[in-house]
Amino acid sequence: MSLLDYMQAKKLLDKYKIRSVESKYVGSADDAWRFSAGKKIVLKLLSEKALHKTKAGLVKLGLAEEKEVRSAYDDLTKKGTKLKPYKILAQKMAEDGVEIIIGGNTDKQFGKVLLVGLGGIYVETFKDVQLRLCPITKADAEEMLSELESKDVITYGGRAEQEVVSLLLKVSKLLTDEKKIEQLDLNPVIVHPDSYEAVDIRVLT
Amino acid sequence: MNKRADLTPMMKPRSVAIIGASRDPHKVGNVILQNYISAGFPGKLYPVNLNSDEVLGLKAYKSVLDIDDSVDLAVIAIPAPAVPGALEQCGKAKVKSAVVVSGGFAEIGETGLQDKIAGIAKKYSIALVGPNCLGVMDMRSKVDTLFLPTKKLSKPKVGFVSFVSQSGAVGSTVLDVIAGEGIGLSKFISYGNAAYIDETDILEYLMGDPETKVIVLYIEGIKRGREFVELARKLGRSKPVIVLKAGRTSAGMAAAQSHTASLAGNYAVQEAIFKQFGFIVANDLSELLYYAKIFASEMRPKGNRVGVITNGGGAGVIAADEIGSSKYLQMADYSAATKKSLRKIMPALVNIKNPLDLAGDADSRRYMDAMNALGSDPEVDMLLVIILYQTPGADPGVTREVVQKKITLSKPLLVVSVGTEYTQRQAKLLEEGGVPVYDSPISAVSSLEALFKYTEFKKRIATG
Repeated sequence: MSLLDYMQAKKLLDKYKIRSVESKYVGSADDAWRFSAGKKIVLKLLSEKALHKTKAGLVKLGLAEEKEVRSAYDDLTKKGTKLKPYKILAQKMAEDGVEIIIGGNTDKQFGKVLLVGLGGIYVETFKDVQLRLCPITKADAEEMLSELESKDVITYGGRAEQEVVSLLLKVSKLLTDEKKIEQLDLNPVIVHPDSYEAVDIRVLT
Repeated sequence: MNKRADLTPMMKPRSVAIIGASRDPHKVGNVILQNYISAGFPGKLYPVNLNSDEVLGLKAYKSVLDIDDSVDLAVIAIPAPAVPGALEQCGKAKVKSAVVVSGGFAEIGETGLQDKIAGIAKKYSIALVGPNCLGVMDMRSKVDTLFLPTKKLSKPKVGFVSFVSQSGAVGSTVLDVIAGEGIGLSKFISYGNAAYIDETDILEYLMGDPETKVIVLYIEGIKRGREFVELARKLGRSKPVIVLKAGRTSAGMAAAQSHTASLAGNYAVQEAIFKQFGFIVANDLSELLYYAKIFASEMRPKGNRVGVITNGGGAGVIAADEIGSSKYLQMADYSAATKKSLRKIMPALVNIKNPLDLAGDADSRRYMDAMNALGSDPEVDMLLVIILYQTPGADPGVTREVVQKKITLSKPLLVVSVGTEYTQRQAKLLEEGGVPVYDSPISAVSSLEALFKYTEFKKRIATG
C-alpha cells in the first residue's frame, strides 16, 4: 500500500463534497506568509520518513504573526534536511471544536468498513468507536452515533447529528466507489455545532 | 435456495443409513443407531456394517450400494481414512445428504483428507455436514445423529428455537441447558469443520424453515465472507438471530498502518456486521441463553417502558437502577387510571409507584391485581416481575397466576427469582408455562434491552 499525496487526497474529499481545511504546499517562507493572509495557519512537514508528525515536532500550530510564520517555516526546513524528500503543507487553522475520527479500512473477508469515534488523542485511550460495513444507510449512520458512549459530546447533544450523519454517508460512498482506496483516516475531523472540517487526511491505496 | 443449502433430506429423511453401525455398545455408530431406535424415528433405518448381518435387531448391509431403497441421509461414523471410500459409495448410491461425525481431518492437520471428502460431496451434490461434528437433531422428525448417551443429557421440548454451533462441545452443553431452562427446540446443527456445508448454508436453510422462529448461533469463524454478508442482510430482517462469536481477543494488528486499521480488526468487523443486520450479539454463553429465552417467548414490546412488580424492596431498586442506567429502556410512569385503580385495590402499605413494591406479605391475589393493572396500562410496554419465594405469601399460587397472566398478556413478561431448591422448583414451573425466568435483575434487564433493540431494528427496516 502506498500513501496518497496530501493534496490529491484532499481533492478526493472535494469530489465527494467532504469539507476539509484550506491547504496548500508552500515552497518558501514568503509563500507561507502570503497563504496566511493575516489568518492563523498551521505548517506541517510531510515526509514518508516521519509517521508521527506531532511527536517529531513537525506540526506548527496557531501561527499568526509574520515572524512566527517565518521562523516556523525555517525550523521545519532545518528538520527536513534529514527527512528528504519532504513537502511543507500550509493549512488554515481550524476553529476549536470536538475532534472525531472517521476512518475506512478494507477487511480481507468482508470488504470496505467505515469507522467513527471520538478522535484526536482520545482514539487510543477510550477506543470509543463504531464500525459498519459499506455502504451504510442513513439509519446505520444514526445507529453508529447512538452506540457511541461519546455521542452527546460529538453531536453537541444532537445539534450536529445530521451534519455528522451526512458526513458518514459521504465517506461511505467514497469508500464504496473508490475501489483502489485501501485505508482512509480523517483524524481529526473537527466538529462544530453547525459544521465540520477534516484537518488531517491519510489515504492509502 | 441454492442446492447445497437444501438440508431438507437431512432434517426430514424418510430413510437413514448409519455407516459404522457397530454391535459394540461402546462404539459411536452403535450409540447413534440406538438413539434413533429409542427416539422412535418413524422412517427406515439401514445399519451399514462390514462384519455383521444384523445390528440391534435390524438387517445390516455391507455397503450403502446394497440398500434396495433410496437413502436420504447417511450418518458416517467410521475412522477418517475410510470416510472418502464410504462417501464415494454414497455418491454412487445417490444418497442425498451425509453427516460425517468422525474426527481426524483438518482439526489435526489432515487438510488433504478433508478436501477430498469436500470434493466428493461436491461431485455428487451430497449435502455434507461435518466432519468432526455432533451432527444434527430435529425435534419433529426425530432425526438425531448425536452420539451422546441420552441419560447424561436432558432432551429439550419441541419448540421453535434452532441452535447452530460450530463446536460440538459448546453445542451439547448449551443443548443440555436449553432443555433445563424449558426452551423449546426445533433443530440443532453442529457443523464442525464445515468441509462443505458451512454456517451460511445452514442459516440460509433455517431462514426458510417455517419450524424455526429464533436462531441461536455459536461460531468461531466465518468461511465465505461476502456470501455471509448477503445472507445476513436478508436473515436479520426475517428472524431474530442471537449470536455468540468466539475469538474476541485475537490480538495482533499491532503494527497496523493507521488508527482505523488497528481498531477495525476482523472480530470488530464481524461484530459490526452482526449489529448492522440486526443480529443480537451475546458476550458469553449465559447471555446467549438469557436472550434465547426471551426471544423464544415470542412477545415483542411496543415501546421501551418497563413496569416492575416486586415483593422485595431491594430487588426492585436494583432492577430500577439497571433500567435507569440502560441507554435504551426507561421506567414506566403509570397512567392516572392505573394509579387510581391500584390505590383502590392495594393495601395502604403498598406505595403506588414504579417499582411497585407489593410488600413481603404479597400473595397470589395481590400479584394478580398488580399484573392486571400494569398489563392493561398503555403506558407500560413490558413487565418485569420479581418473585422472592422466601417470603411468606409467595407460593405456588403466585406461580400459577403468573403463568395464567402470561397466556392472555400481549406484552413481554419475565420473572426474576433468586433462590435455591424451592425457588428452582417454582422457576421450572414458570418456564414450563412459557415464562422466562432470570436469576438476577441485571440479566433480566439486559434481555429486555436486547428484545427492545431488535423490535426497533425491525421497525426501522419496515419504514425503510
